[in-house]
Amino acid sequence: MALGRFLLKRGIQGVLVVWGVVTAVFLLRFITPGDPVTFVAPLDASAELRAQIAADLGLDQPLYVQYVDYIVGLLQGDMGYSYLRGTEASTIVLARVPATVELAVAATVVAIVIAIPLGVISATRRREPADYGATLFSLVGISTPNFWLGIMLILVLSVQLDIFPTSRRPIGLFETFAFLVTVENGLAAPMDVGAFLDGLWTWLWHIALPAVTLGTYFTALVTRLTRSGMIEELGQPYVRAARAKGLPESLIQYKHALQNTLIPIVTVLGLQLGTLIGGAVITEAVFSWPGLGTLVIDSINVRDWPLIQGSLIVIGTGFVLINIFVDALYAYLNPRVVH
Amino acid sequence: MTDLLRVRDLSTRFFTEEGQINAVENVSFTVEAGSVLGVVGESGSGKSVTGLSLIDLVESPGKITSGEIWYNNADLAERVEGDRPEAVDGDFVDLRRLSEAERRSLRGSAFSMIFQDPMSSFNPSITVGEQIAEAAEVQRRASANPRSTRSRTQGYGLGQMLLDGVLPNRSYTSEESWDRAVELLERVGIPDPAERAEEYPHQFSGGMLQRAMIAQALAGDPDLLVADEPTTALDVTIQAQILDLLADLQETMEMSVVLITHNLGVIARVADRVSVMYAGEVVERGTLRDVFDDPVHPYTKGLLGSVPDIDQPGERLEPIAGNVPDLVDANMPDRCYFADRCPKAMTDCLTRPPEYEVSDGHRARCVLAEREYSEADAVPDERFARATDDGTAANDGSTAADGSIASDAEVSDD
Repeated sequence: MALGRFLLKRGIQGVLVVWGVVTAVFLLRFITPGDPVTFVAPLDASAELRAQIAADLGLDQPLYVQYVDYIVGLLQGDMGYSYLRGTEASTIVLARVPATVELAVAATVVAIVIAIPLGVISATRRREPADYGATLFSLVGISTPNFWLGIMLILVLSVQLDIFPTSRRPIGLFETFAFLVTVENGLAAPMDVGAFLDGLWTWLWHIALPAVTLGTYFTALVTRLTRSGMIEELGQPYVRAARAKGLPESLIQYKHALQNTLIPIVTVLGLQLGTLIGGAVITEAVFSWPGLGTLVIDSINVRDWPLIQGSLIVIGTGFVLINIFVDALYAYLNPRVVH
Repeated sequence: MTDLLRVRDLSTRFFTEEGQINAVENVSFTVEAGSVLGVVGESGSGKSVTGLSLIDLVESPGKITSGEIWYNNADLAERVEGDRPEAVDGDFVDLRRLSEAERRSLRGSAFSMIFQDPMSSFNPSITVGEQIAEAAEVQRRASANPRSTRSRTQGYGLGQMLLDGVLPNRSYTSEESWDRAVELLERVGIPDPAERAEEYPHQFSGGMLQRAMIAQALAGDPDLLVADEPTTALDVTIQAQILDLLADLQETMEMSVVLITHNLGVIARVADRVSVMYAGEVVERGTLRDVFDDPVHPYTKGLLGSVPDIDQPGERLEPIAGNVPDLVDANMPDRCYFADRCPKAMTDCLTRPPEYEVSDGHRARCVLAEREYSEADAVPDERFARATDDGTAANDGSTAADGSIASDAEVSDD
C-alpha cells in the first residue's frame, strides 16, 4: 500500500538522521574543553591513577575505536556509566523520559483544546468582539516569555492564592495507572480505584501550571494559525460550491474548512512537540520538573558525558519519531501526499 | 412556455474601500421553464455576480441592494402565502422577500450552480463521491421535513463533524445518498462510477471533474442550474462534450439553465435566449436569433464582429476600442455607459438610455432601437476625451449632472 511505502521511506530516513545525531553527539565531547577524568578523579589523584581512570573509561583508545564501541554499546542499549553516579546512564536517562513526555503532551493538549476552537470562533466571527479577544490573547501569549509567566503563575496562584503547588512531580501518570493493574503473588489483585483517582488528581494538580506555562506560546501560535487558515479556507471556491449545493454552514465550517486548515497545523504541532521535548528546559527548571531538560543542564555542569550524550540521543530520536508520526498523519489527512 | 424565473430591476453592489461598485445594475430578465438563457459579456460586466445573486451567494462586501426575483413554484407559494402574502403573486414567490433560512433551503434543491474551475470547486481532501453524496444527503434530509430548516443537520452534532474531518468512515452521508452519488456520476457519463466515487478530486481530469460537479449540482433535482463559465477552464474538445452533456441533461431533466460565458460560440451552440451584459447592465436581450442575427446595440454588434468567421477567412477582426469602465459608482458617467467606446455615439447618448422594445421580447438599452444613426448628431470622440480632462467642460447644454465623468481611471487609461 502507498502509505506503507511512504512510512518505510520515512523510517529509513529517520534511521539515518538518528545515526547522524549519535555521531554528532559523540564528537561533541572531543571539541568541548574539559577532560572528563578531571571531574571523575579525586583532586589529588596521581598521574598513574588518572591514566588508570582514563583506561577504565576507554578514553585511551583511538577515536575510531571509541566510536565503534559507542555505537555497538548503543545498539545493545548501553550508553555507558554516569561518571559521577556510577550507575548505568541509560537507566538514569530513561527514568527522566516520562516526566518530559507528560509535560510536552500536556502542553500540546492545552494548546489544541484552547487554540483550535478559539481560532475557529475568531475566523467565523471576524471583526466581532470574540475575534478581537482571541487576537489580543494570541498577541499577548506569543509575546510572553515563559520563564516570567511560570514565575508569575507560581507567585500568584501558588504563593498568594495557594491554589496550585509550586513545584515538583510527586507521582507520574504511569505510576498512577499502575494502581489499576496491581499484581500480588503473581495474581491480579483488585483494582485500587481510590488510589488511582487520588494519584491522577495529584498528577493533574502538579502538572497544571507547568503545562500552561509551556503551552501558552504554543496556544497563541496555533490560535493564529487556525484563524488565518480558516479565513483562507472559507474563501476557497470549494466553500462557495458547498454553499451552492445547500450544505448547512456548520457542516461547511467544521467538516470542510477545518479539516483543510488542520493539515498545515498538524505539521506545526508535530515540530513544536519535538521542540517541547528538548526545549522545556526553562519550564522544567522553574518548576523543578524532573525531566530530560533539567538532566541535560545538570549533566553539562559536571561534564557527565554519558548522561549528556544519552539525553541528547533520546531527545533526537524522539524528535525523529514524532516527525515520522506527523508525516504519516499529514499523509492521512491530505490524500494528495500519498496518491 | 411558462416562466420559471422573472428577475426585475436587480441591483447588486459591492461596498469596498475604493467606493461603491455597481456590479449589477437594474438587471431584468426572464428564464423560461426548460430553456437555456445565455448571459454573455466581457470580464467585469457583472454576469457572474448576476448568477451568484440568483442563488443568493453574493459574499461580503457584496450585497443585493434592490430588485425582485420571482420564482415559479406553486408548493412554495402555498407554504409562504400564510406568513407573507406580499411575497406571493399567484404561483410566483419573490425570493428577496423570503427569510435567509428559506432562501438557503432552496439552494441545491430549487437552484444549483456550477463554477468555472472544477479543480478548486471540490474540497481536495474529501472523495468526489462523498461530496456528491453530501449534496444528495442534505436534500434527502430536507425533503423528510420540508418545513424545518434545522433538519438538515439533525442527529449530526459538532463532535461528529469534527471527527468526520479526521476519520475515514463519515457519518453525515448515508448508504442511500452514496448510491445516489454513484448513480449521478453514471448519469453524467463517468465510467466505472462506483470506483471513481472513491477517488479524490486530484485523481480526476478537468473534464471528468466538471462532469462530477454537474452531477453534484443535479443531486437535488433543481429547477434551475446556473452554469458560470462551465467550459472556460477546459480543453476545446472537452468543452464541446460538456456543452452537449449540459444540453442533454437540460432536456431530459426538464430544468432551466442560465449559462454565463464570455464565449459567443458556446451561447450559439446551446442558448434559447440571450442577455448581453455590459458594465453591470443588460444592454440587449432576446431570442438567440434576435440577438445574433439582428443585433441593435453597437456593443452586441461589436462582440459579434470580434469573432472570426470561418466563411470569411481573409477578413480582419474588429476589436471594440477602449476598456470596460471600472464600475466604481463615483466614476460612472451619467450617460450611456458604452457611449465612450461606441462608434455611433450621438447627442442622445449623453443621457441614460431606457430599455427600448425592438420587437416582441427583443429589447435593447440603446436609442438605435428607436431611430437611425445620423452623422449630424454624432458626438465627436474628443468630446469624451475632453470630458475626462475637465469634467465641467463637457457639460455644455446636454446633461446637467455629468460633472462626475472625469475619473482617475479614465485619465490613466489615456
